[in-house]
Amino acid sequence: MATSQEILEALADYQGQCNENKRLRKMQRDWSRLIHFVAEDTGDTFTMNVVKGEIVSFEAGANGTPDIIVTTTSENLCDMFWGDLNPSQKYLSGEIKVKATQEDVIRLDAITMIIWPDV
Amino acid sequence: MGNDSAKIKAEALSDFSKFIGPMKVRTMKAAGLDIIEHKREGVNVWDITGQRYIDCQTGSGIMNVGRRNPEIVEALKKALDTYDIGVFLLCSKPKADLAKKLAEIAPGDLNCTIFGVGGGEANDAAIKIARGYTMKKEIIYTQRAYHGHTGFALSAIGRDAYKEPFEPLMPGFIMVPFGDIEAIKKAITADTAAIILEPIQGEGGINIPPDDYLPQVRKLCDDHEILLILDEIQTGFARTGKMFASEHWGVVPDIMTVAKSLGGGIYPISATIFKEEIQDFFIPHPFIHLSTFGGSDLGCIVGMAVIDYIQKNDLAGHAEKMGLRFRAGLNALLKDYPSLLLEVRQRGLMIGMQYTNESIGPRMTKKLADRGVIAIYTGNDPSICRLMPPLVITPEEVDFVLNALAESMKELSGEAGLGKND
Repeated sequence: MATSQEILEALADYQGQCNENKRLRKMQRDWSRLIHFVAEDTGDTFTMNVVKGEIVSFEAGANGTPDIIVTTTSENLCDMFWGDLNPSQKYLSGEIKVKATQEDVIRLDAITMIIWPDV
Repeated sequence: MGNDSAKIKAEALSDFSKFIGPMKVRTMKAAGLDIIEHKREGVNVWDITGQRYIDCQTGSGIMNVGRRNPEIVEALKKALDTYDIGVFLLCSKPKADLAKKLAEIAPGDLNCTIFGVGGGEANDAAIKIARGYTMKKEIIYTQRAYHGHTGFALSAIGRDAYKEPFEPLMPGFIMVPFGDIEAIKKAITADTAAIILEPIQGEGGINIPPDDYLPQVRKLCDDHEILLILDEIQTGFARTGKMFASEHWGVVPDIMTVAKSLGGGIYPISATIFKEEIQDFFIPHPFIHLSTFGGSDLGCIVGMAVIDYIQKNDLAGHAEKMGLRFRAGLNALLKDYPSLLLEVRQRGLMIGMQYTNESIGPRMTKKLADRGVIAIYTGNDPSICRLMPPLVITPEEVDFVLNALAESMKELSGEAGLGKND
């Protein structure tokens, strides 16, 4: 089980990785979304705001009306933000649930693929 | 093959990832569908490593006569003794033969054909013909429609995700909800050239319209001098239990497009079939619409063999029977797993399973793949999974798929997060 603090630390690193990756920023420059992350085991929630491919902010709590909701265990959230798991595999196995269009599901997975191609 | 086949597979996937598309490989791998097709026969396809699958995806209806049907393969092999694709500008006997055959089997008085290679191209031609013949511009299409990814066809796709990055598209395309006759009435103007519809939406989720919808659309078209284009690219060639789906409602379009199974899964060919009066548009412009590979001699010979096979073996009747067998099994699953399965929509062997929530489609796809069945959720809506096996499927093979579905649902029902609101 991961704590809220641990997930926020992982998110901070994830934000840096995403925003500093030029290839990813170019690829996602047409993509703006408000994303909620829900840790189903702890009940902790987090909000990430992506504007034209840049993660402009993240915070604890489920704020605003989300375009995407990602629900999984706190451990999976932490691992995902550290690049330690393959989101598409977890999605297809049902461990990660995503309320979003299929295009957005693929976009989220593409982020992991670009930053951590061996995952 | 052993280690060699595993190595060949790994290399093929790696090359595909590098030279074609990494996300495709990644997504298919996650779904348990990183299959490199090797042997193909009937309803079956084998991965290069030897794992067998029953193919219920079939490229959304390419394989009605089965994978590598021996009669179709033989027809192509024999044709290759004499023919190549032919020169498209010249008149050709195979083209004439297939056009005549299509005139015989098409509903009503659809007597004329122009050929293409793929379905998108066939729909492009249909829309061009509609505009050229009527000298009007507007095309009405429907939400969740799927007509292909080429120019005009893309403009008539009812899913923004396929279109947005490529805008601006063709002007004059108006979208209405599928199945809603009042919406069509409101959308018609003096400049409406055509309404383009799938009789049953395939990619959209196997959406079967109300029984009076297509007849009412036909009447609206007649009243307003609008052409009705029916896209039978997925529904055609016995898929729904009739040669063409429009026959279920007794509706004759002005233009009908076919592709996919016309090529028998062996040689790509498509056709835009239309009423004789529309042929008048081509009289002053006989070379206005050309296709280098459309209606190739080889493709036409294959098309003839496909139609012969379908008729000789009454694949329409068989599709109806096997569809009902599926229906009985799926009804049992509806009863046993109401928390997973919401609805089944079926006509012949065009089957849509609507799950209770979006997370189930991807999970079922993986579980079915693990059990040797290829059945993929729709991109439009991951709560819907389509079953469109080859029409040659046997009762035993239907039962195999039903078993795999039952086992997968049993396993899934024991897992968390399956409420309607998850």
